[in-house]
Amino acid sequence: MTKQTFLHDKHVALGARMVDFAGWDMPVQYSSIIEEHKTVRDSVGLFDVSHMGEMIIQGKDALPFLNKLVPQDITKLADLKAVYCQLTNKNGGIIDDLIIYKLEDNKYLIIANASRIDEDLNWMVRNKIGFDVDIINESHNYSLLAVQGPRACELLKSLGAEDLPPFFSIKRGELFNINLWISRTGYTGEDGVEILVKNEFSEYLWDKLLESGKEFGIKPIGLGARDTLRLEAALHLYGNDLDESITPVEAGLAWSVSKNKTEDYNGKKVILDQIQNGISKKLIGLKMLDKNIARHGYEVYYNNEKIGNVTSGGVSPVRGDNIALAYIKNLDNLTVGSTIQIMVRDKLHNAEIVSKPFVKKNNKG
Amino acid sequence: MNESMLCTKTHEYVLEQEEKYEIGITDYAIEQLGDIVFVELPEVGSEFIKNEAFATIESVKAASEVYMPISGKVIEINEQIVNSPELLNEEGFEDKWFVKIESSADQIEFADLLDYSDYKEEIA
Repeated sequence: MTKQTFLHDKHVALGARMVDFAGWDMPVQYSSIIEEHKTVRDSVGLFDVSHMGEMIIQGKDALPFLNKLVPQDITKLADLKAVYCQLTNKNGGIIDDLIIYKLEDNKYLIIANASRIDEDLNWMVRNKIGFDVDIINESHNYSLLAVQGPRACELLKSLGAEDLPPFFSIKRGELFNINLWISRTGYTGEDGVEILVKNEFSEYLWDKLLESGKEFGIKPIGLGARDTLRLEAALHLYGNDLDESITPVEAGLAWSVSKNKTEDYNGKKVILDQIQNGISKKLIGLKMLDKNIARHGYEVYYNNEKIGNVTSGGVSPVRGDNIALAYIKNLDNLTVGSTIQIMVRDKLHNAEIVSKPFVKKNNKG
Repeated sequence: MNESMLCTKTHEYVLEQEEKYEIGITDYAIEQLGDIVFVELPEVGSEFIKNEAFATIESVKAASEVYMPISGKVIEINEQIVNSPELLNEEGFEDKWFVKIESSADQIEFADLLDYSDYKEEIA
C-alpha cells in the first residue's frame, strides 16, 4: 500500500501530478518541472520531503557506534553541526548516504533516504552488539519541509527566524509559534533550509510558508525539479549514482572521508586502499554534444569499447544543454575535455567529460 | 483537438487532409508528458508500417516512442517542433503535428482506431 505524507491533501488540492516514489505517493510536478526548477534557482521553492527518514541514535555509546558505521570522523562533530556521511558495508559499498547531526552529547539525528530506511535500520541493529545505544526510528512522527533558493533565507528572516544556523548546522527554532528544527542544508545546490516539524503542524506550516512566501515568489516544487536541481549540482541520488557495490571513493566522495580517522569502521580497509592505490571505475560528469539526452542505464563508449554506464542524466534547465553522471573505467587518458560516446537508441552520440558541479553552487551559507 | 481525428490507445492521432494524413500525438499525451525537450522525426521518404515506432519524444522525465497509427510514407516533417520542442507545450501553438504521410492503408488498419469521442471516454 502506498504511503502518504501529512501534506498529501495539499498536493492534490494544488493540482500536483502524483507518482509513486519509494513507496510514497508524492508530487512530481505542480506546474512544469522546468518552471519549478527556475523558481528555485531564481527565487525560492517549497518542497515536501517528509518521505525521508529520521532516526535518533542516543546512549552512552552513540559516538563510538556511529564511528563504526561511517568513514567520517564523528568525534570531530561539534554540537548542532551536521556532516554528510555514507553508511558503508564491510566492502566499503554504500548502504545509504546520510546527514548526521549532533544534537548534544550522546544524541545524534540521522536523515536518511526514504527508500533505504529499512535497510539502514537492519544494518544498524546488526552492528549494535556491544554498544550501549538506542536506535529510534522517528520517521513516522516528523515531516520535513525544504525551503530552497536564493531568497529562502530572506523569507525565513522575514518570519522572525533572524538567527539562521550556519551552513551544515541545525538549531531549534520557532515559526508561526510552532516549535521545530531548522537545518541549513538542502539538495538543490542553493542556499536554504530544511525544517523538521512534528506531523500535526506540517499542514499549517506548509500553508503559512506559501502564503508568507508569495512576495518572495515562492512556489511548491515537486520531485521532478528536485531531481533536475540536484543533478545540476552533481549531488548523488541513492539507487542511481550510489548503491551497495559502489564505494565512496569510486563515487567521487573521497573528499568526505576522514583519512586520519583512528577508529575502525565498516569497509575501512577497502576505502583506504582505494584512496592510496587508486580505483578501477570512477564517476564523471558529462555533457551531450548534440540534442540527445543521456538517461539512467545508457551505455558509455570510448574507441568503440563499452567503458561504463550513465547513472543519472537529463536536461539542465539553467545551462540549456543535456548533462549526466556516469561511471566509467578509470582510464588515464579520459579527463575533463575528453570526448566519449553515449548509446542512445542504438546510435552513438558524442559527449564531453566536464567538471562537476554542472552549475556552480550558491549555497555558501 | 479536431473532432474528425482518429486516435490510438497509445495517444497518437491521424487526421485526413486531402488524401494526405497528418500524424501527431494528442493534447492529453502532451499534458501527461509535461515539459517536452526533444523530438526526433524520421526522414522524408521513409516508410513505416502500422504500429511501428517512427518518432521519439523526450520530456524532462523520460523518453517515449511514437507509433504509426496507419502504414504510410513520410512526405513532410514538422521541422518547427524539432527545432523548438517546447512549442508543443504552448497552448496557443496550433502546428503540433509530427509528420504528414501518404497512405494506402486499407479499412482494416483503420478499424481499431478510436473516433475522437471514444478516445475522450478512454482517457476520462
